[in-house]
This record gives sequence, structure tokens and C-alpha cells, in this order.
Amino acid sequence: MGDTELELSPARLEELQKSPSTSSTSSTSSLSLPSSPSSGPRALTSSSPSTSEGLPTSSPTLDVISEGVGELSLVIDTEMAKKACQEVLQKVKFLKPDGEVSSATSEPVLVNGTAHPESTDGGKPPKITAEEAEPVKSVRRRQKNNSSKQSWLLRLFESKLFDISMAISYLYNSKEPGVQAYIGNRLFSFRNEEVDFYLPQLLNMYIHMDEDVGDAIKPYVVHRCRQSINFSLQCAWLLGAYSSDMHISTQRYSRGTKLRKLILSDELKPSSQRIRREVPQPPPSCPPPLHHGQGMSEHSLSPSKRTHQRSKSDATVSISLSSNLKRTASNPKVETSQDEPVRLTPQREFIKSLMGIGKRLATLPTKEQKTQRLISELSLLNHKLPARVWLPTAAFDHHVVRVPHTQAVVLNSKDKAPYLIYVEVLECENFETSSVPVRIPETRIRSTRSVENLPDCGITPDQRASSFSTVPNYDNDDEAWSVDDIGELQVELPEIHTNSCDNISQFSVDSITSQESKEPIFIAAGDIRRRLSEQLAHTPTTFRKDPEDPSAVALKEPWEEKVRRIREGSPYGHLPNWRLLSVIVKCGDDLRQELLAYQVLKQLQIIWEQERVPLWIKPYKILVISSDSGMIEPVVNAVSIHQVKKQSQLLLLDYFRQEHGNYTTEEFLTAQRNFVQSCAGYCLICYLLQVKDRHNGNILLDSEGHIIHIDFGFILSSSPRNLGFETSAFKLTSEFVDVMGGLDGDMFNYYKMLMLQGLIAARKHMEKVIQIVEIMQQGSQLPCFHGSSTIRNLKERFHMNLTEEQLQVLVEQMVDASMRSITTKLYDGFQYLTNGIM
Amino acid sequence: MAQTEKKTGLLRRTSSSKKPLKEKVVLMYEEIFAKEDPTKNNPRFWDELFLMKVNLEYLEGKLESLDGDEVMKVKDNINSLFHHCVQALSEEHQIKVVNALQTLCALFRGVHQKNKSATGFDIINMLMGFDKAELRMKELMESLDSLLCGDGSESLKSLCLKLLLCLVTVTDNISQNTILEYVMINSIFEAILQILSDVSSRSQHGYDAVVLLALLVNYRKYESVNPYIVKLSIVDDEPTLDGMGMVIHHALTDYNRQYKDKEEENQGGFFSTLTSMVGSMFIADADEKLSVQTNEAILLALYEAVHLNRNFITVLAQSHPDIDMSATPAAPVPASPTTPLGTTPPSLDMMNNPELPLDPNLQTSNLLITFLKYSSIIMQDTKDEHRLNSARLCLIILTCIAEDQYADAFLHDDNMNFRVNLHRMPMRHRKKAADKNVPSRPLVCAVLDLMVEFIVTHMMKEFPMDLYVRCIQIIHKLICYQKKCRVRLHYTWRDFWSALINLLKFLLSNETILLAKHNIFQLALQVVNLFNMFITYGDTFLPTPSSYDELYYEIIRMHQVFDNLYCMVLRVSTNAGQWKEPASKVTHALVNVRAIINHFNPKIESYAAVNHISQLSEDQVLEVVRSNYDTLTLKLQDGLDQFERYSEQPKEAGFFKELVRSISLNVRKNVSLSTMSQDLLLKEFSSIS
Repeated sequence: MGDTELELSPARLEELQKSPSTSSTSSTSSLSLPSSPSSGPRALTSSSPSTSEGLPTSSPTLDVISEGVGELSLVIDTEMAKKACQEVLQKVKFLKPDGEVSSATSEPVLVNGTAHPESTDGGKPPKITAEEAEPVKSVRRRQKNNSSKQSWLLRLFESKLFDISMAISYLYNSKEPGVQAYIGNRLFSFRNEEVDFYLPQLLNMYIHMDEDVGDAIKPYVVHRCRQSINFSLQCAWLLGAYSSDMHISTQRYSRGTKLRKLILSDELKPSSQRIRREVPQPPPSCPPPLHHGQGMSEHSLSPSKRTHQRSKSDATVSISLSSNLKRTASNPKVETSQDEPVRLTPQREFIKSLMGIGKRLATLPTKEQKTQRLISELSLLNHKLPARVWLPTAAFDHHVVRVPHTQAVVLNSKDKAPYLIYVEVLECENFETSSVPVRIPETRIRSTRSVENLPDCGITPDQRASSFSTVPNYDNDDEAWSVDDIGELQVELPEIHTNSCDNISQFSVDSITSQESKEPIFIAAGDIRRRLSEQLAHTPTTFRKDPEDPSAVALKEPWEEKVRRIREGSPYGHLPNWRLLSVIVKCGDDLRQELLAYQVLKQLQIIWEQERVPLWIKPYKILVISSDSGMIEPVVNAVSIHQVKKQSQLLLLDYFRQEHGNYTTEEFLTAQRNFVQSCAGYCLICYLLQVKDRHNGNILLDSEGHIIHIDFGFILSSSPRNLGFETSAFKLTSEFVDVMGGLDGDMFNYYKMLMLQGLIAARKHMEKVIQIVEIMQQGSQLPCFHGSSTIRNLKERFHMNLTEEQLQVLVEQMVDASMRSITTKLYDGFQYLTNGIM
Repeated sequence: MAQTEKKTGLLRRTSSSKKPLKEKVVLMYEEIFAKEDPTKNNPRFWDELFLMKVNLEYLEGKLESLDGDEVMKVKDNINSLFHHCVQALSEEHQIKVVNALQTLCALFRGVHQKNKSATGFDIINMLMGFDKAELRMKELMESLDSLLCGDGSESLKSLCLKLLLCLVTVTDNISQNTILEYVMINSIFEAILQILSDVSSRSQHGYDAVVLLALLVNYRKYESVNPYIVKLSIVDDEPTLDGMGMVIHHALTDYNRQYKDKEEENQGGFFSTLTSMVGSMFIADADEKLSVQTNEAILLALYEAVHLNRNFITVLAQSHPDIDMSATPAAPVPASPTTPLGTTPPSLDMMNNPELPLDPNLQTSNLLITFLKYSSIIMQDTKDEHRLNSARLCLIILTCIAEDQYADAFLHDDNMNFRVNLHRMPMRHRKKAADKNVPSRPLVCAVLDLMVEFIVTHMMKEFPMDLYVRCIQIIHKLICYQKKCRVRLHYTWRDFWSALINLLKFLLSNETILLAKHNIFQLALQVVNLFNMFITYGDTFLPTPSSYDELYYEIIRMHQVFDNLYCMVLRVSTNAGQWKEPASKVTHALVNVRAIINHFNPKIESYAAVNHISQLSEDQVLEVVRSNYDTLTLKLQDGLDQFERYSEQPKEAGFFKELVRSISLNVRKNVSLSTMSQDLLLKEFSSIS
């Protein structure tokens, strides 16, 4: 029974638990917060099974509440709940310094914030988690009698449901240095990836908020910087970018700038001595990961984690030393000093050269010249690869080994020169410690050539020289040139043909066999002609080459095919850990808003997934490098609707039929469903975030029928040139509706229903969304935060005060308005006139 | 002796009119040639000698004038001089090094000029003495190596390269230069590579280094194992290969630019209309001043690199964005005085212009593009022997490129588009295409354009059969690649087909004249087989179904040419004679073309008859073609997509021997001039010391 409770509740309770924040905390938080203290004393002594018994009312009530009705009712008394919550919070805060002696756990945290409650009670965690599942009613009942006795806030912090989102929220909202310091320590206990998601928020708080918050965050950042080059650089870049809005004079001496300098000076490298002296502080100070805890195991878990961390950094040190030893012989002391700049330098140089290319491209007038220049610049870059460099947008550790320069394209942009490159990488265990792959010359593409290519047996020129010198005469061309290039054409033909009949004309086989049989072979001219037209028809529709739009062709090519093609042409392609990545390099563009949008999208995606609303959106990763440069992870297999229309000269619906087949085919229906789900998702996004500048060049269509909105340059309070265009909630053209099967179709109703469900789910977790935006507003001059009402307006768009029925009406209205909106059409016309975008 | 003195006296009077007095250095030279040990009277003789400014004229003249017996008498002293020269190379005093280098130069030249007939061994004996030769040369090469690789003066390095070039080119036939055996044993290959890999040294000495390398590779190429060939074939260091490519690139670019300037000069202004009438005359005139010979060595180097080193192929496609040029810091300026190897030293001023990186009109280029442009200039006129040789070499290089799969891959890379402005010969019957309108296409289009251009412009009485055969081979290789890899190139195949048909027409109409000198059937067979490739394998590489229709249209339209060709080859193959065999091959190859003609012509005629049209439009013919494919049966021919790979030996050996000889002569001529003007150098050092 307890199990079922847990399954049902976490999503909601998480939200309930979360924020004591200022304005619109949902009522549940006020209800649930007291829940932990209520059972606190008992929990300490009782064992987990007994908890559920001790609270007999729990499960049935919860079952009721967890359905939609319960949610709505919770939503309604927001204000009251908020007040209640805040009252309680205040009380607890006052109480805390006085004593709370009862619990050993709380003491160290509250007193100095650095020491930490190491393993006071092993029995706690399971109980707490169980208690989270307590019914609201009982919680409320108990609220009164125990608020004075226990630090329920602490209980919350230590509970399993206390996640990073809550931690960030408390860090931001709490004015209490003790709480902040505690959370600063608590950060250590979260998984790195979890914290990484909120890195922009953390650093923005570090830069723009008061000393206490900064002090709370710094140890964690420093610790992570020591661990990881990637983290160091991410921090440095973000710190630079988010400090840029400060006045130049304050910026120079700001905390953010100092930390950035510290990181870039590479003081924070993992030296074994330092780690022993300093690092032990942070890890022990991190609260025992109670949320993991299962009874006594909690105790053993914590140290083991710590040792793991340390051993990792030790490994890094030993590697860096060994690489020194390799470089020059004897004295390791001298080398460590040499090694310092080397740690971050390769990657910084790599990024710098990519940005440099972007800057130089911007000076060239035509796309064609830009493309040529890009290709040649990248070919030079290739000379320096492989190196210990990587793409920060990737999800796995790797080393970049080659940039297939001829595949790079310049993207459409009027005055800047963003470009898309493909990058060949070799996946590895850890890019900091794994050895950098050996360079393989370009010409050695014929991967079948066995041993020679294995990275381990790098043949030195001398060795090869000796092997070569045994060959008597070098004009024997078969020796000087390895036979394989054209030899294949002559000798190996039969083999190739039989292997891949798909690849070579049937006749080639005939041509070979005919040599043997010597009987004349006759073929029909009609067959040749037919095959020609068939083969051309069967190749997936490609776009025509257009020098003014070089990216269209490149983006249209299916990703798998591109990967296969590039792999074939690459000297590294035969390696099993070969991967292809792509990245858009933006130079001269501020990607901070994009990053914000990414975070919001990602958060909403998680929420919808959690709530099982089948909305489809595709948040693409953003790397902010400075306030005017960065990188974007491209959406693969997608071209802009503008490109689709321009190239195909078809209506969207007809294009769908061309690509996916006729109305009744499964392919078409799947694509249509994908279209609807993505459309609904992005309509909500556009509405919630007020995404503007929605022309067809900014909406992609992928090969499965999803649409993907890109370019979040105008969100929240900003809109392009403030012309007052695009007043509709989102872009919904009649062409879109046609793809959905028209206004009366089932799919269109499905679309509206999805929107409603999505909105309901989103508002349930509104705080998580708001929080991301709100923190980034601190100290920001970004246009999306223009004016004072950005956050308030954003909150209003979640319509916390409406019933579900009212929401449904709202959605209907918005869809209607967007449909009828002339401004959308007007805006498309405007874009066509000004930018040539269809 | 007296005679020679008189001679020098005369020389001196002419050169520096009023000084009958002998220079001190000449007196010292005389001592060397005086049989006695010069140190007998002056123990510091050698020290002093290398402090004196070298009188190359005298020294060379003196050596030249000695006859066999006299030489044997002063052999010890000459050996000694050589020995001390080598020793002086490791002196700290740079003046001594300079003088020693120049003296060595004079020694090599002097001895060789006199003893053209003498065997290499005699010369070695005369210079170094048999017993010491190996040791001396080892010392010499080591000193040169360390001078070239050291941080010393650039002028010194330049002199070292001059000395080496001088040594390599003292004989007309490089393979007869026995001293080079020591250069083989004591390789300076690494030093050459180092010069090429370093940006600044490359821009100053790259040209000499590349020429030297090209020559050394050709030493006894076919008779023995030449370590330079071995080493060159395995270099895989990209900066070095790039450096080499860069030097070649600059030299060719330079020529291209000069040519273009000349052309514009001739065509602009007052005479413009007149010039276009007799344009070819003027341009031929302009070419006189632009010596093609100079670039033979560079082309040879390119050939050797492409042919021997498979890694070099990447360098061909290596684009040279302008920043890379600006990265060579101010180098070309000091380079121009020190690299006057050719009559047109690569003056890189333009490349050095710091404002170039931002010039948006400058197209990114690469070695291959530059080479194609150069080839287009060279191939315009093949009357002169040097130009013919250069054109042949260009085609050989292209053959090697077309055979390399990696090169083919980037030639056909759809993402690597370039505008290549090939030079087209001005001809009366066609307008000069506007340069600006060349579309940006994959590089293979430029290669095909070049081939087509060659085909249509060289149908002349002095028929360059050899070049035509190479040309068709290159096309064939490219099409084989396209077939194999299913590259559907959007190329103007129609123009291409009509060029080939016109070639056949030319062969037919000049049959008697041409047959006297050439086997025209071989060429005809190649051309017909290209058509066979299109007919039977068109499905694998043609860009559109309609292009296949157009192929048929073109064949039907020009059916008379094929008919006549068939009649001719049938006639020749039925007669006994030397052409019987090759001609009958052509008859067999024509089977499909004839099948097409015989199949469609009646259909077209009946279509015309039925519809009462006298002259069918193109669309109507295409319509007939399209509707009658199914009743046409073709015969599959063997081995259409196979070809003989390029091999230097034995076919091309003779050509390369002659080419190297020509280059040697040219280099020697130019090196000698420059060596004489090394006064500048001396001044540089005397002011330092």
C-alpha cells in the first residue's frame, strides 16, 4: 500500500514541497511543508513499516486527492495557502537559532553552515519518504502541534523529495545565511548532471546576488572546477557572459569576474596536495545523502562516494604527470608548472579558432565566398586535430579527431555568419584522462586496410622507411602507390558488385562474367533508361543546390545517410567508437536568451513527460561562450518550413504527402500525429514564453513530421522592433490546420485537447518554470526582461485561477484568435518583403 | 700559364677598365695552380684565402683552361683547396663560409666544364682524390646540412642551396653526375624538408629547395634505388607537404598572374579590336617573355610529389585562405633578391599585401585550381617544344590525379564548389566567355572543361596525338570513377559529346595525313568507347533520364560521322596492313552506336512521314527516342570500365630524361648568373664582421 502511495504522489508532492517562495506558492506547499515536522519525533524512533501503519488515513485520502479534482482544489486556495506557508516559515526561522536541540542533525547546519550532520540517525530517511506521502488532511491536522518543536524545513531538506529544483529555489528565496550555506553544502550531494542543468542560475546568483549566496555557492563551484575541465570552462564562459551586463567599472572587480579569472588562470587544477587539503572539506560537509539512504546503507554510501571523487581527481593528476613525463624527461616539478596552462588551453584555443572563423566570415559579402572560406579555414583547423578538445554540446565524452570540412555550411543570416559544422569524434571513457587518438592522414581513407590504421601501432617514419627501402625499384607503381585506390576499379569489381547489388549497376556484374563466358550479352536500351529514372526516383528527395541557401541541401540529407557518407570518407571511420556530431557556431549573437528558452523547454518537456501528456518538443542544447558568441546543437533531419516551401513549391500538406505518402498510409498518419503533437507543444511554448518573430524560417520541419521552433531571440517582454505585430498567442496558419486535417477533423480536436492537457500539467508545476526565468532576471539587461512585469505576466499566463473548464475555453479562444489573426499572415508578408522568407 | 694570365688580364680590363693590377686573391689562386704547396711560403695561406673575396671568373676560367696533364700536376693543390673549402664551412667566421661555398661552386663548375668527356671518377679524383673522396663529401654534406638546418644567416642558407643546385646541374645528364652518388649516401633530404616546413625559410628558399628536390629525385631514377624517391614517397608530415604545395602554388600563381596582366595589356585600349582579330599572334608574342621553361622544374616537382607521395594528394585540395598568406611574415621581400633562380623569380608581393585578407573579391584557391589554370594557359599553344613538354607534363599530372581515389573524391565533392576561370584560346568562331559567369561547381567540371577545351582547340595539322590520347584517358578515368561511385555529375554533357564527335570528324577528314604519323585508330577507339560507357552504363552516372535521351539525340544527329567512321575502319580492316588490327577493334566498338542509329533513323523518318513534317524539332526527335527504347537491343562490351594504370617506366622514361636535361640546363644557366651577383651577400657579411 505504501508503495502505491509513493508512486502516485511524488510528482505532486514534489511540487507541494517545493517552494516557500514569495508570491504564488501553491496551496499544497503550505500543506505539505508541515508534514515532515509533524511526524518528526516519532519518525526518529519508529521503523519504516510502522510509519505507514501509524498513519492509517493516508492512502485512501491520497487516492482521492491525487485525481484531477484534488489538484484543482489545491490550486484554488493559493493565496490562503501561501500566507499560511509563509507564516509557518517565519516561525520556524525564528525558532531555529533558539535551539532545536532535540535533533543532532540540525545543529551543525544552523550554527556554522559548513560542518555537517554526519550520520546522526540511520533510521530517518525511509521514514521521511514515507511521510511525504501523507495525506494532506492529516498533515494539516498535525501542523499546529508540532511546528514549534521540529525544524520541518530541515526535514524537508533532508527528505528524498528535496531535489535540485527546490534547492535552487530555497537558495534564491531564502534570506537566511544559514539556509543558504546549508544548501550550498547540500549541492554536493546531488548528481552532477542535475546541478549542471541549473548552472546558469547558480552562477547568475553568484554574480548578482549578495555575499551570502555567493559564499554558499562558491565551494561547490570550485570543487567541481577542480574535477572537470569541461565544468571549469562552462563556468568561465557563463560567468563572463552573465557579468557582461554589469557596468564596466563594477564588472572588473565583481565576484564573478574574479572567479572567472581564477578558473581561467587554472589555479583550480586538481593537484593531489590541494585536493587533500581542501577538498576533504566540501565532501564531508555535504549532508549525508539521506535521500539515497536505505537504513544503515546511507552511512557507507557517503564515504564511498567521496573516495570515488578523490580517486578520480587523483587519476587526473597522475595522467597529467605522465603526459609530462612523456613530453620531456626527468624533472616532474618543472613540468607541473608547464602543465598548468595546458589543461584548459587546447579547448579554449579550439573554441577561439571556431569563433575567429565566424568573425572573418562575416566580412565576406556573398554566401558562396563565405562557404568557400569556411571550408578552407576548417581544413586548416584539421591540421591541429586530433587534440584534447571536445564539443561541449555532446552528451558523451569524446575527442574531436577531424572536421569534415567540405560538409560545413554557412547558415542563412543577413549580417552575421553562423555556420554549421560536422565534427568527427572518437568516444572515450573520459576526455581528460583518455589518451588523445593518433592522427591518421587524410589519404588513408580505405579503412579496410587493416593493421596500418590501428591507433596503437603508430608506425614511425623510420620504421616505414626501412620497410620501404627493401623494395628494389620505386617506379614500380604498384609499390609506390598502394594498389587499392584504382586497383579496386579494375580487380576487385566482381566482389564489390556481388556484395552490394544495390550500389552498382547490374551490368557491371555482367561485364565481368561476360569476360569469362565470352558469349555476347545483350541488353535492352529501355532497361537502362528505366533503371536510370527509377534510381533517380528512389533516391530520397533532395533539395536543389542554391548558392544563396547552401544549408538547405546539407540539412535535407537524412542524418543517418550523412553519417554513413562521412564515415566512409573519413580516415577514422573504421574505428568502432567513431561518432559524428554537429554544431552551429554563432558569432556575434547573444545566446543567453536561447539558453533560457532551452532551460524552460527542457523543464516543460520533463513536466509533460512526468504527467504523461504526449506533447512533443525538442529543446536543443545551447552553449553560451560569451555575451555575443556561443554554440548550438543543431536539430538533425530538419529543414525550415521556408526552405521546404521554397524548394518544393508545394503547400505544406502536399509536401507531407510527397514525403510520407497519401492520407491513409500509416506513414502519413504517423507524421500527421507527430505534427499535431509538436504543434500543440510549441503553441504552448510560444504562448507561455511569448515567443515572437515566428516566421517560416524559424520553424523547422523534421523528417518525421514534427515541427521545431528555433530562434528564441524574442521572448517574454521583447518583440522584434516592437512593431506590435504578432499579437496572436501563437502561430497557427491555415496550412498548419490543413496538415492536421482541417478544422473539423479529429486531429484538430486532439490538438486542442493536447494543448489543454499540456497547460494543466504546466501550471501544476509552474514554480519550476518560473524559477528558471526569475533567477536569470537578476542583474540582467536582456531584452526579454525588459520592463518590470515580465515575471508577473509570465505567471498570469499560467492562469492559476481558472478552472479546467475555463482553461478549455481559453485554449479554444487562443486557437480561434490565432487562426483568425491577420497579423500572422501580415507578419509572414512582412518577413517576405524584408528578408525574403516565404 | 702565360696565356691564361693574358686572358685574365683581358678580362679584367674589360670589366674594371683601369686596374691592371692583380687582385690579391688572383695571386693566391696562381699559387694554387703552381704545383707547389702554397703553405710552404705562407703557413696561413688557407686562412687568408677564405678571407678574400672570391674571383669566380678567374677560378673557373683557370680550371677550364687546364689540360689533362696540367691538372694531374696541380691535383694535390686542388684536392687541398677542396679540403680546406670543406673545412672552412664549419668556421665561425661567416665571410669564410661564404667564400668557401663560392669557391666550391667554382671548383665544381670549372672542373666539369673542362672535362665534359671525362668520366665521373676522373672528376672526383681531380677534386678530392679517390682515397679521400668519400670522407670529404661526407664532411661537405654534413656541413651543408647543418648550415641549412641551423639558425644561421638566411643568405648563407641560400648560398648552400645554390651550391647544391650548382653541383646537381653540372652535367647535362644528371644521371652521369657521379658525385651525386655521395649526395645519395649523405642525404640532405631532411634539410630540404625542414626548409619547406618552416614558414619563413620556405618563403625564402622554398623555390630552390623544391627544384633541388625534383632534380635529386631524378638522379638515376630507373637504374638504382634513389633514397630521395624512397623518402619522398613516405613523407606524411602535413606542414611539410603543405609547404611544398605552397611553393609550387606560388610559382604557378605568379605565372598565371603575369600571363593575365600581359593578356589584359594586349587586349585593352587602342588595339583592342585589332587584337581580337589576330589575338593569338599577340598572345604568342607575349608568351615569349613569360618563359615556360622556368616552370618546368616546378611542374616536375609537382609531378614527383603527386606521383610518389600519396599524402600529397590532400595538399592539392588544401585551400589557401588569405590569412595563411599573411601569416608568412614579410618573407617574400628579402626573398626576391635571393631567389633569382629563374628569369621570373616568384615575386610574392601581392601575396604579401596585408590588406588581402579582407579583400572579398579574392577567391579562395587551392593548388589544384591554380594548376588547372596554369595548364589551361600552357595548353593553348603547344607549338614550341618546351610548351609541348609542359603541356604533356600537365596531362601526366592530371592522369595521376584522376587515378587517385582520394583525389577523385574531392574532385567530385558536391560541397567543394569553385569558380575556376580557365583560359580559353581566343578563336574567331567563338566569343570569349565572360569570366565572371563561370558557375561554382565541383572541381571535376573544371578538369572536364579543360579537357574539352583542349580537344576542340588542337585539331591541327601538327596533331598532338600523344596529348589527345592522354586527354581522353583522363576523361575515361574520371568517368570510371563516376560509374563506380555513382556520382551523378551535373555537367554539360552535350557539349562534351559534341566535342568528341567533332574530334572523330577531324580524324576522318584528315585520315591520310594523320595516318602517316599516328595510329589514329587507337584514339578513335578510345573516343567510341567513351560513348559506349555512356550508352551502356549511363544509368549509373548520368544526372537525369533526359540526359540519356540527349545522348541518343546527339548520336542520331551526328550519325553521319559515325557512319563515315564505320566505313573507314571497315575499309582499313579488310585490307591487310599494319592498321588492320586496330581498325577492326574500332568496328567492333561501333556496334552499339550503329545499332542506335539504325534503330532510330527509320523510326524518325516514319514519324516525319506520318506527321508530314520535313524537319523534326529536337523535342520531336526526343519523343521518338523515348518511345522506341524498348525495341532496341544493345550489346554489352567488355572492359569498358577498366583502364591501364599510369606507369612512368618504361613508356615515359625517355620523356622525363629529356625533361630533366632541359631543366638542368636552365637551372645551371640561372644559378651561374645569380652566383656572380653575390656581392650583395658579401657586403652583408663584411658589414657585420
